[in-house]
Amino acid sequence: MKSDNKPMAIVEVLNLKKNFGNTKALKGISFSIGKGEIVGFLGPNGAGKSTTLRILSGLINADSGEAKVCGIDLAAEEGLVKHHIGYLPENNPLPEDLRVIEYLNFRSRLKGLQGSRLKERTKIVLEICDLERKVSERKIGNLSKGFRQRVGIADALLAEPRLVILDEPTIGLDPHQSAITRKMMERLKGDVTFLISSHLLSEVEACCDRMVILSHGQIVAEGTLHDLQKSFIDKTIFEIVTKGDKIEVQKQIREIDNTCELLLDDLVEITGKRRFSFSTLNGEKSAERIIQHLFSSKELKVSEFQIARPDLETIFLRATKQNWEKKALSKYK
Amino acid sequence: MRPFTTILKYELFSLFISSSTYIASFYFLTLLGIGFKFFLESFSYTDWILPPLSSLVVGLFFGAPALVPFLTMRSFAEERKLGTLETLLTTPIDSGILVIGKWSACFIFFSIICILSFIYPLILIYLHPEQGFNLGFSSPHYWVGCSLFLLLYGGSFTAIGIFSSIMTKNQMVAGMLSFTLITLYISLMSISSKSNINNGNLDGNYQLLEQSLAPLTNGFEKLEQFSVGFIDVATIFHQIIFIMFFLVLSTIQLNRLNK
Repeated sequence: MKSDNKPMAIVEVLNLKKNFGNTKALKGISFSIGKGEIVGFLGPNGAGKSTTLRILSGLINADSGEAKVCGIDLAAEEGLVKHHIGYLPENNPLPEDLRVIEYLNFRSRLKGLQGSRLKERTKIVLEICDLERKVSERKIGNLSKGFRQRVGIADALLAEPRLVILDEPTIGLDPHQSAITRKMMERLKGDVTFLISSHLLSEVEACCDRMVILSHGQIVAEGTLHDLQKSFIDKTIFEIVTKGDKIEVQKQIREIDNTCELLLDDLVEITGKRRFSFSTLNGEKSAERIIQHLFSSKELKVSEFQIARPDLETIFLRATKQNWEKKALSKYK
Repeated sequence: MRPFTTILKYELFSLFISSSTYIASFYFLTLLGIGFKFFLESFSYTDWILPPLSSLVVGLFFGAPALVPFLTMRSFAEERKLGTLETLLTTPIDSGILVIGKWSACFIFFSIICILSFIYPLILIYLHPEQGFNLGFSSPHYWVGCSLFLLLYGGSFTAIGIFSSIMTKNQMVAGMLSFTLITLYISLMSISSKSNINNGNLDGNYQLLEQSLAPLTNGFEKLEQFSVGFIDVATIFHQIIFIMFFLVLSTIQLNRLNK
């Protein structure tokens, strides 16, 4: 019963494999993406991100495995799938001689739009990507990198796709332009599913609901940031700023949790207080109990505290390092 | 039909805004005009047995290896180099339609150049009607035959050019490949079976080879027939098949490119 009521995934990939000659680009990856999600695709160079995106956008065929977009099998109905996908390739190649509006009209016609629907959709994507007024009449060759990227995204959104695949959408953009791109995705979230490949972990962390981390053609991690933090960072780190000395603080902490280790002992200038950083194996709840206990201590006079949540970069490095180590180990076996 | 017309319009637009296309066309038409003038001036001293209009056809025919690459080399090679071919292939457009659309644009442009070259005899008819009549420029069947010949072989040459363009990312390499293949084709066409008819001692294998290559050879005999208004239907079929062969090859190569 539950499986009947389960909403259809927009992307379903099962044991996908792809070789380029002797190089195994994908070694059997499986994942799915639900409707309206923004999923980040991460990995070092050569991990297989672009290969996966190119398979999903119908540019190349997988050697084996299954890939479905909107419930349609890519291998069997590639032409049909392309009606549901918008794709922004890496480096966003565009014809230099056309004006923005000419290019979007050309692409609209190729995607099957015509008449009033074409005009309507063109107007909408110009508005979403902030390309109205003078910019739409300019030649693409005369636009800056940021505007060209917006033209590429506008093209991807033209035919109201259900899945938009963006390969490095914010590379080379300044923070303001990156923020605009993020806002655009936030605006469309829920109606459109996004699959974003990026090296900019801060961008992915800021806008993605879930992440899939690839390394050497395999998925090494998948989930929300919180899930990944729990999976890869086995210690919880917390910081306190207090007037108390190191020995007293350690003693108080060990009364609650004897797995705690002191990581950092630093002087906070001007105030004369000290900043301590501890790790515990017992998770955030233990850290919260410790902090509550320290706050209740009048001698220590804790003025600041925080539970440090590891960022995506830390998780990424940990996840890919584990994969490299496994790979190196397997060579010696 | 819609994707085809979209691609066709876009490609024609690209050809019309390309400066290299204009330079090549202007240079070619100028040389053709000069050659045509010299031909007419010396016509009475030559052994040319065909209608003088056929001299234009010969000029266009032998000039095609130089002209056609300029029309076709950008079609796919530049798109591959820029990466725009990938974005094109992510749309729901069939690769066969894409190939036919680009070929059609090049073929139409080639046809426009042929039509422009016919201005020379038309000018002659306008300025010297009597002379034009005497030289056979007023006979419609000569015009039909010559035009059809040019269209058929123009289609073949542009199909070769499209195929060459799809084989590489480099425009110059595409141009050179196109030039080489068209020249080879013209060389093959210059093989004539007439010279062997009178030789009774023909090897059986040679005869078999000649018969199988017949659609490709005897090009000048076919030119003779068309230029006097004799439309050889077999030649039309052969050329259509030849065009389709190279377009199918191009489509297969396009499908192989990213797979």
